[in-house]
Amino acid sequence: MKRLMVVVFLALFVFSCAQKEVTIPDRSKDQDSGKKGQTGKDDVTRVDKENIRDKALSEEELMREMQSIFSDTHFAYNRYDVTDDAKPTLRKIADWMLKRTSVTILVEGHCDERGTNEYNLALGDQRAQATKSYLVSLGVSSSRIETVSFGKEQPLCTEKTEECWTKNRRAHFVMSK
Amino acid sequence: MNIPEMAKVRKKSNNLMRVILLFLISASLSASICALSALSALLCPSVCEARVYLDITSPGIKKFPIAIQDFTGKEALVQEGLEISDIIRSDLQFTDLFFLLDKNAFIETSDSPFNADNWKPLGADLVVKGTIEISPDGSLGVVVSAYDVVEMRNILKKKYSSKKDLVRPLAHKIADDLFEVITGKRGLFGTRIVFVGQDGQNRSIYLMDFDGQRLKKIVGRGSLTMKPRWSGDGKKIAYSSLRNGKWSIYILDFDTATERLIYSSGATDLAGDFTPDGKYLLFSSSGKGSPDIYLLHLGTKVISRLTYEPAIEVSPSVSPDGKQIVYVSDRSSTPQLYVMGIDGNDSRRITFEGNYNTAPEWSLAGDLIVFTSRAGGSFQVCTIKSDGSGMTQLTSAGNNDEPSFSSDGRYIIFTSDRDGVKGVYQMNVNGEQQHRISPRNIRAFGPSWSR
Repeated sequence: MKRLMVVVFLALFVFSCAQKEVTIPDRSKDQDSGKKGQTGKDDVTRVDKENIRDKALSEEELMREMQSIFSDTHFAYNRYDVTDDAKPTLRKIADWMLKRTSVTILVEGHCDERGTNEYNLALGDQRAQATKSYLVSLGVSSSRIETVSFGKEQPLCTEKTEECWTKNRRAHFVMSK
Repeated sequence: MNIPEMAKVRKKSNNLMRVILLFLISASLSASICALSALSALLCPSVCEARVYLDITSPGIKKFPIAIQDFTGKEALVQEGLEISDIIRSDLQFTDLFFLLDKNAFIETSDSPFNADNWKPLGADLVVKGTIEISPDGSLGVVVSAYDVVEMRNILKKKYSSKKDLVRPLAHKIADDLFEVITGKRGLFGTRIVFVGQDGQNRSIYLMDFDGQRLKKIVGRGSLTMKPRWSGDGKKIAYSSLRNGKWSIYILDFDTATERLIYSSGATDLAGDFTPDGKYLLFSSSGKGSPDIYLLHLGTKVISRLTYEPAIEVSPSVSPDGKQIVYVSDRSSTPQLYVMGIDGNDSRRITFEGNYNTAPEWSLAGDLIVFTSRAGGSFQVCTIKSDGSGMTQLTSAGNNDEPSFSSDGRYIIFTSDRDGVKGVYQMNVNGEQQHRISPRNIRAFGPSWSR
């Protein structure tokens, strides 16, 4: 009985965490800041006026810091091994994660538009998992990295060019906590 | 780094908690089946000596000449009569196995009794007549008779009844019976097709008749979903959906209009075929690292692992005898088709042409596998025998993918982007008669034909 209570309590706890995550700012705002490469100055002033807690500000800083470190890494056509080009980025990510031990991330595996949906989903899955394995090999705890595949469902770019396909074959990083 | 995107994913999944199984629609579907299963049959004894008028298994078939007269009824039913006979004609025409005589050339009026002398000059081998009436309970009652012109005798007399708004399934049922009387094989006019459709930003599972008619949305959750697979009895479909950040396997039961979560490892789980006996579901899962093939007993939930390679193994499809599985593996560094026993033993590679062979489906009618192959810079639908011989490319316009066989193995549906917006297309198993069957306003993926 006691054990059951604990489980229920834990479930509630997890649920409330999940609820909290929904309150992260909306996407449009982020896309704007992404374009400028930093958060708009006006936004920061407004945040100050509204007298938001220090923690919120530091989260903002955290975000900015992460944005500069967690860039997409890319893959060769139909491959899911981590390329030499991706390794410096992944090393930076691992170093940062080893410093900021409270952050957990989601690695999304994506593919270009070519080929079968189902196979691409497996390919994206393996891209995310290979990226995770590389970060784990650099010392990041595997429990801090979740993975998901989007196959070819969420392309960044829709032109039928090699350049565009390269952009789409990516591991994309998202903060999950 | 894109934090709010994560937020978006979470938010979306919360919305998904509002399950949108369209019960009414599913219910109307099963109602139509009920109506038809309650048919009363009055076959005359002579039919029992099963004569095959048209052997569809022989190569080089001569089209079978048949006359379908407009079905007759009292004034209010003239429209239904025309509609039913038109659907039957169009069904038979679809198979490319029949020569349908022009009704304008008929000598005998629809309400006159059959007289072989009226049909011999026209070259008809079989004549079909039908009468419609409204039963006391308001349903449609249809009596269909088929006559052998050469032997001058009635070879089929059957009474059908259905709700008035289910004329199409009723007509398909009649066409199926005629097809069976003539060929000795089960018709496919009662079969249905599901696919994943995107209408604007929303993803849903759609259901339609084999000819693309009576399209309806059956699962409207909006989440990303992969190609569904039908159970052998046509009462269930299994599919994978991305919900709460995980690709898990669900089964939708048409009879109960309920969807159940069947398997979730937390990684990428993708539904494969049901076995022919309906007891097992094949699937792939990356729960142990690389995607492997598994067999799930639907009753006991016992899972057997069939592959152990440190490579991608996905898209399992089972042979009609339930003894073999065709699947995709990239263990040779490119995705290729492999065949193995249902116990996972004796795996052998069957495709050696090209560097990309995926999406296999085994025909229910025998030793043929349909799949997608990269040819030049595009993706095309091909067939191959399970020993790797006889690879044949069937499509060439645009990109063509995700093929699925009809229950009789004579036709294939697939997705194509040849007209811009991706849609579901249909063709004969030899690649002839390629045509679109899904509407142009819906982007379509992963079509699957009921077995």
